[in-house]
Amino acid sequence: MNVELLTSQFWDLTVTGLALGAIYALVALGYTLVYGLLQLINFAHSEVFMVGTYAALIAWGWAGLTQESPIPGLLGMIGYLVIGLIAAAVASGGTALIVERVAYRPLRRRNVPRLVFLITAIGVSVVISELVGVLTDRHRAGIPRLVERSTVISIGDFEITNVQLGVIVAAIAMMVGLDLFINRTRLGRGIRAVAQDPDTAALMGVNQDRVVMLTFLLGGLLAGGAALLYDISLENTRYNVGFLLGIKAFTAAVLGGIGNLRGALLGGLLLGVVEQYGSALWGNEWRDVVAFVVLVVILMFRPTGLLGESLGKARV
Amino acid sequence: MLLELSDVTLRYGRIQALHGISLTVNEGEIVALIGANGAGKTTTMRAISGLRPIASGRIIFNGEDITRLRPDQRVLRGLCQAPEGRGIFPGMTVLENLEMGAYTRRDKAGIAADMKRVFELFPRLAERRNQPGGTLSGGEQQMLAVGRALMAHPKLLLLDEPSMGLAPMLIQQIFSIITEINKQGTTVLLVEQNAQQALSRAHRAYVLETGRIVKAGTGQELLHDEAVREAYLGVA
Ligand SMILES: Nc1ncnc2c1ncn2[C@@H]1O[C@H](COP(=O)(O)OP(=O)(O)OP(=O)(O)O)[C@@H](O)[C@H]1O
Ligand SMILES: [Mg+2]
Repeated sequence: MNVELLTSQFWDLTVTGLALGAIYALVALGYTLVYGLLQLINFAHSEVFMVGTYAALIAWGWAGLTQESPIPGLLGMIGYLVIGLIAAAVASGGTALIVERVAYRPLRRRNVPRLVFLITAIGVSVVISELVGVLTDRHRAGIPRLVERSTVISIGDFEITNVQLGVIVAAIAMMVGLDLFINRTRLGRGIRAVAQDPDTAALMGVNQDRVVMLTFLLGGLLAGGAALLYDISLENTRYNVGFLLGIKAFTAAVLGGIGNLRGALLGGLLLGVVEQYGSALWGNEWRDVVAFVVLVVILMFRPTGLLGESLGKARV
Repeated sequence: MLLELSDVTLRYGRIQALHGISLTVNEGEIVALIGANGAGKTTTMRAISGLRPIASGRIIFNGEDITRLRPDQRVLRGLCQAPEGRGIFPGMTVLENLEMGAYTRRDKAGIAADMKRVFELFPRLAERRNQPGGTLSGGEQQMLAVGRALMAHPKLLLLDEPSMGLAPMLIQQIFSIITEINKQGTTVLLVEQNAQQALSRAHRAYVLETGRIVKAGTGQELLHDEAVREAYLGVA
């Protein structure tokens, strides 16, 4: 166990972990939103994310940004960020809506057992991932560099790059936006109503199908945002990037208390950081093991996750 | 006629819960639906509000056939139900629960006026406006359920056992409020175990037995009917 590595690089590991954890958290929100509403684990959500990573890449290609291009200037960078965000959001949001409409709605109509949803979700996930795999010859695609890394804050050992800071700030901004939407708007109240009591929500005039669509759309948009941040920080993607990231994000959601929006944030950041500490202590190959051991241990003591109560029962 | 059910049947899987219910509610009336446990009162309400699809028959509301409409579409047309067991959203505050009642409305001024009216009818709710619905007492939840239905400003208010679980004092109060609401112009269809109160407040009433209507009449007629007195008023 390499304790010295952990202590000597503590801040570096923490910042790296937070930047990655913020992306987990954004994806985790998609799991937690849908779970809170339908008690359904949408395993296809990982692919909703993956599609977004490609959409931004393709849009950048159309706009003339390739791996051979020089790093764009400030205005160019902002332009490409906007293009990438729109592309990823449209692709991920659209995919989420299509999955809901094509795969889940017919099942909801028929009131099938939950297990059927689960199998369907896994099936959809495999289909999307394989489709992209075949279309891309299973190659890893490099993503052109948009932002030159530079350290923006440096206090003693604590250093953070512009990309890391941007990722964390952007992710938190998106989550605050979601929180306000859910808690302060009429449509958000509709989502909470269906999560807490679908029948009574219908009696109050809430159109349940519309609420479900809206929820999938929100989860998709956040996954699109996460996809953009992922592209910028990791600078490559592949047809199967959704798999491990999806499992991590799902873990983050469970860790924080599935169905609980703020829990997803907490779970994501925590998981990101713990993973980094673990890989410093035991080596990079143990990173994923550490993440899941933490999950199992926390769930042993707090089966409902850290923040417990779900979207259904508590104020979100 | 505001509401008309003709020959409505409804099944829960293999169990047939309603065997051809026909009833009417006229504009401005309070109509009571009484019957023993399991008679099908709640089921009738669910058929009217659209929570369960009916197997056959027709439901006409305000001159329009609403048989195939979704529940939220029926709310838009002026039908609002306070469900049995209150159906308070536990994670929402009293205020948010009331706002849910007005979910389909856009007239801000009208909503504010109705909010004021509800707080006048139920001062207790005003005191607790920021308390989560799930932590209210049973009686307070019942008030909230009735108040929330009023927030929809419905043409027809459906109340499923509004006096359930209330202390005698509060039962009196709830029924006075129902009469008051009705005087202010809302038509009411009321399901009740408390047949004494319901019949004395209602213009007309129906008696339901195992999914069939077995008797109908004015509230006063049924209140003095031998069989009804014996079965539902506990008078030998
Ligand atoms: N979801 C359901 N599935 C199967 N059977 C049901 C369901 N809901 C009600 N029933 C049955 O339908 C019949 C009518 O029930 P309903 O709830 O309408 O009675 P009720 O008159 O409201 O009774 P109570 O006074 O006890 O509320 C009962 O026999 C009940 O067991
Ligand atoms: Mg009942």
